[in-house]
Amino acid sequence: MPRILGVDVPNDKAVWVALTYVYGIGTTSSDKILNDLGINRTTRARDLSEEELARIAAFIEKNFVVEGQLRRQVTANIGRLRDIGSYRGLRHRRSLPVRGQRTRCNARSRKGPKKTIANRKIARK
Amino acid sequence: MTRSAKKGPYVDAKLLVKIERGGEESKDTPIKTWARASMIAPEFIGHTFEVHNGRHFIKVYVTEDMVGHRLGEFAATRTFRGHRRKD
Repeated sequence: MPRILGVDVPNDKAVWVALTYVYGIGTTSSDKILNDLGINRTTRARDLSEEELARIAAFIEKNFVVEGQLRRQVTANIGRLRDIGSYRGLRHRRSLPVRGQRTRCNARSRKGPKKTIANRKIARK
Repeated sequence: MTRSAKKGPYVDAKLLVKIERGGEESKDTPIKTWARASMIAPEFIGHTFEVHNGRHFIKVYVTEDMVGHRLGEFAATRTFRGHRRKD
């Protein structure tokens, strides 16, 4: 299995898919990388030569923020929102939706699994 | 949709005038305002605002990190304190 940028081990998928296993690289940036380097996007990741791998790694290093550094950047951004006491920071602190979505129902991604309230009166007919 | 870049940021004109007129020493006196939608300009740093939340004026001390946000973001309009605990 080829390794790109340390720990990432994309498997025997086409390169353009394999690259998206890197945190911070999606299909758009993946396509862009391969285009700019002139590497066929549909070659299998395992068929890449050492030299090609090195070129991809160098290119990503130079043009993208990925993996740990990107994760840190994201947390730092959220941390900033929290610290300045903005509304968005407040929503992050309470782990509720940040962008104005409804919370009467749904919003489960942010709120986590349902906490059923016991003894809730069932509406009588 | 985001605001057109052509127009530049929306900063309440009156606030800028007030800050300009007040000068450095005016930083201590809070500026009362209803302009919650006004972007925080770099000139605002160090000033204190009293931003209306619909009922009261919330004191907002502007720091460098707040630039680019809007005044209203720092004066919450809702007072939800959690649901009633029953037991």
